[in-house]
Amino acid sequence: MKQLSRLLPSVTWQSLFAGAMYIFMYAPILVLGLYSFNESRYGAVWKGFSLKWYGKLFQDERLFLALADSLKIAFCAVGLSAVLGTLMAIGLAKYRFPGRSVYRGASYLPLIIPDIAIAVATLVFLAAAAIPLSIWTAIAAHMVFCLAYVAVVVSSRLSGMNPHLEEAALDLGATPTQALVKVLLPQLAPAILAGCLLAFVLSMDDLLISSFTAGGATPLPIEIFSRVRTGVKPDINALSVVLILASGLLAAIAEYLRYKSEQAKG
Amino acid sequence: MPRRFSSKPRLAATRRHFLQGSAAAIAGIALSNCGGVSDVQSSDAGAEPTEDGDAGSAASGASGPLYIYTWADYTDDQLVQRFRDKTGIDVQIDIYDSNETMLAKMQAGGGDNYSVIYPSDYMVTQMIDMGMLTEFDKSRLQGLDQLSPKWESPGYDPDNSHSVPYSWGTTGLIYNSKELSTAPADWTYLWDNKDALSRRMTMLDDVRETLGAVLHSLGYSYNSTDPAELEAAYQRLLELKPALASFKSFGWQDELLGGDLLLAMAFSVEAIPVTLEDDTFQYVIPASGSSVWTDTMVIPTTAPNADAAYEWINFNLNPDVSAETVKRLYFATPNAAAKDMLPEELLSNQDLFPSEELLAKCEGIAPVGDAIELYDRYWTQITSA
Amino acid sequence: MANLPLTPASSTRLEWFDRWRYRLVRLIGPLALLGPAGLWLFLLLVLPTLLILQLSLVPGLRPGQAITAYGLGNYTRILDSVYLGVIGRSLTFASGTMLLCLLLGFPVAYWIALMAPKRWRSLLLVLFILPLWTSTLLRTYAWVTLLRRSGIINLILSALHLPTQDIMNTHWAVYVGMTYDFLPYMVLILYASLEKLDQRLLEAAADLGANPRQTFWKVTVPQTLPGIAAGCLLVFVTSLGDFVVPTLLGGTSSKTISLLIYDQFLGPARNWGFGSALSMVLILAVSLAIALLLRYGNREAAAA
Repeated sequence: MKQLSRLLPSVTWQSLFAGAMYIFMYAPILVLGLYSFNESRYGAVWKGFSLKWYGKLFQDERLFLALADSLKIAFCAVGLSAVLGTLMAIGLAKYRFPGRSVYRGASYLPLIIPDIAIAVATLVFLAAAAIPLSIWTAIAAHMVFCLAYVAVVVSSRLSGMNPHLEEAALDLGATPTQALVKVLLPQLAPAILAGCLLAFVLSMDDLLISSFTAGGATPLPIEIFSRVRTGVKPDINALSVVLILASGLLAAIAEYLRYKSEQAKG
Repeated sequence: MPRRFSSKPRLAATRRHFLQGSAAAIAGIALSNCGGVSDVQSSDAGAEPTEDGDAGSAASGASGPLYIYTWADYTDDQLVQRFRDKTGIDVQIDIYDSNETMLAKMQAGGGDNYSVIYPSDYMVTQMIDMGMLTEFDKSRLQGLDQLSPKWESPGYDPDNSHSVPYSWGTTGLIYNSKELSTAPADWTYLWDNKDALSRRMTMLDDVRETLGAVLHSLGYSYNSTDPAELEAAYQRLLELKPALASFKSFGWQDELLGGDLLLAMAFSVEAIPVTLEDDTFQYVIPASGSSVWTDTMVIPTTAPNADAAYEWINFNLNPDVSAETVKRLYFATPNAAAKDMLPEELLSNQDLFPSEELLAKCEGIAPVGDAIELYDRYWTQITSA
Repeated sequence: MANLPLTPASSTRLEWFDRWRYRLVRLIGPLALLGPAGLWLFLLLVLPTLLILQLSLVPGLRPGQAITAYGLGNYTRILDSVYLGVIGRSLTFASGTMLLCLLLGFPVAYWIALMAPKRWRSLLLVLFILPLWTSTLLRTYAWVTLLRRSGIINLILSALHLPTQDIMNTHWAVYVGMTYDFLPYMVLILYASLEKLDQRLLEAAADLGANPRQTFWKVTVPQTLPGIAAGCLLVFVTSLGDFVVPTLLGGTSSKTISLLIYDQFLGPARNWGFGSALSMVLILAVSLAIALLLRYGNREAAAA
């Protein structure tokens, strides 16, 4: 009963609106999901229920290799950028130095530069430096925009955050590193998480930069875009459904574990 | 391995320029790389055949896997596995989604790994002009004599000296035969029926194909460089534009099958699967002809593993390998021997293998030199105004 | 007392040494924080950008050609009304998308950050951006299925006896597709900034007799301005770079600046010089907008 009464007042216009937006976000996904069970290979006509695309999908080793490449690039690039980008955002908020605005400006550049221009220029640069293309060059190139996105989100949280907490920690005898890890980082955690999610999604969906900087690896978007030439088949829809379900489940489990451990603590 | 040595001074020079810290220097190197690298390496490629013969498989083993740069569907695991079983050579495949992406990557120096690539016809011409392709040692290719007459000496690469045709297809119109009372026979159909088709037809999002088709329909060449002809084609396309729903190279299938589009200009490889899915939809090559495209296999001058590249090309020239790919992807094969191995239903499919007579009216798209700027400008005007 | 007077020379040396040590120690922090990212950005961003700048100054440069002469030809070419029209359309698409995302995203972020049950918040946030896990291309294809004349949305509308909408292949479809693609970005960033909102301030405002609307406009919005600015900025610039949605949903007249740049690099013309110049113009214009936005955002934040 208590549970119910706590839930009831939460039905406000905001929650209804948010619900509508969730429907908006998932409508295309439902369409993808629906047509991944379609007998026909085209998404226009319903020809009956079929699991054959899932069968095809699980035999398609190339698609999974491409997915693995994408995940590898995204995890490495985002992981490294999370650290560097957060440090950068803190540094920019903390220190005044000549060239600071140039530095800050440069950190915004990846958001602005057209992907294709930076992709080509980066490739020309890598070739000039005689660095052979590999999955690592792709990771390095992805890091550039991941850094920028993490830094933007973290900066927006840093500006307007209470600077006295860190000072208080320092006054109380904490080393600067302790103050950073124990005081600043927990406060920044939601922003870092948000930035990472953003960077991860962008990295997983990047076509142009990977096209030009990856060698010996075929990230998923390249595989998908080049399959378009002969028509996207529902097996790729099936892959999307599997991916979304798997990551949704993963997120739910992570949340559940976190909740459990918090309960155990408190 | 003379390549190793030739790359060293390049590296040193690059570093030195780096210390100078000038971006201009980087760009200078990079761009001179694009043009200049081929000189260095073509001599290497010339040297390769001398160590051929007994050293063949040993050399390829030492050079590691064969790197191939191709379209997504052109190879599959089975094909690679068969090749590996036969030759013992490992294959690494990278894929691209457009000829231009491939060219840009090769030119900017990112394609030094690749020993086989799959450019389309016009791109072959362009790459030959830039000195990017190795001239074949014909004695090392088996099966060239099986090519259909039309591909024995194609216009984009006379005598197939730098490229082996792999697949071909046409551009045409796919339409809803239940909704359209008269079937389109030629390009003029679009203009004659533009009210009935209003906002229910699409053309390709490709300046050379679409503006080319209009040029062709006016009696000019797909590869016209005459400004007056281009202007005329532009005006004619402009006239049709309000009736077009969109310019789309891909993604028209759902709208067509759903009944929203009545007609779409499309490549045969994409249209044929739709016609096989539902016979309401029919593909037609306009009677006055359209464009015919060919995808080829080539060995770039930078290829590190030419021996394995020849093995790969020969493997793909095998009639049964080629026939398998046709069945999977619905493109036509220039390999006459492979054609004989196809099932009757594919062989008699006029969409896949149009009559010689009709094919003779079709044109291949070729580079147009500096006139491309004019094409580009007209296209920007059409797609933005 | 004998060694009280230090020789001036040694004193300056010590001072000099201390000063330098002090400076070095002071440098460790900034270097550790800013060094690695700075190096990365310099090598893989600033240098390539300078390269684009250089290419933009070579009229009609195609890859493989030697640079013969520099000039501003590429830039003057942009002043052509055709290209200005393309730029104008892109800016309209991007700002429209930005506004729609803000309008739709703020209530969602607000609800997740402040109103939803606490234990569900992170999960709800993740769920909101989960659809982005699919490829842009597939999502956009799905919108074709939804939006087309006899598509799912129109089926539902006609079942409800509502007038059907034929917005496929129009600019409206571009707004729908782009808003869909970038709404999660906006929500993410607004969430990060709403989540740290000082709840006590809201309570204090309420205690002081402010009604919810006043509290929202006087407390919540000013406090989240940096987040709003960052979200708008991100959506604006990212949607400027989108070329899948306009191609697939936008109809015949949907060329945007990013498509134009793409065409210059990878289209048949392959005019890297002109493509670079377009990129530079885009970079400069957007930088200017960002500078203004940041200044405005910071001032508002400082005033609050």
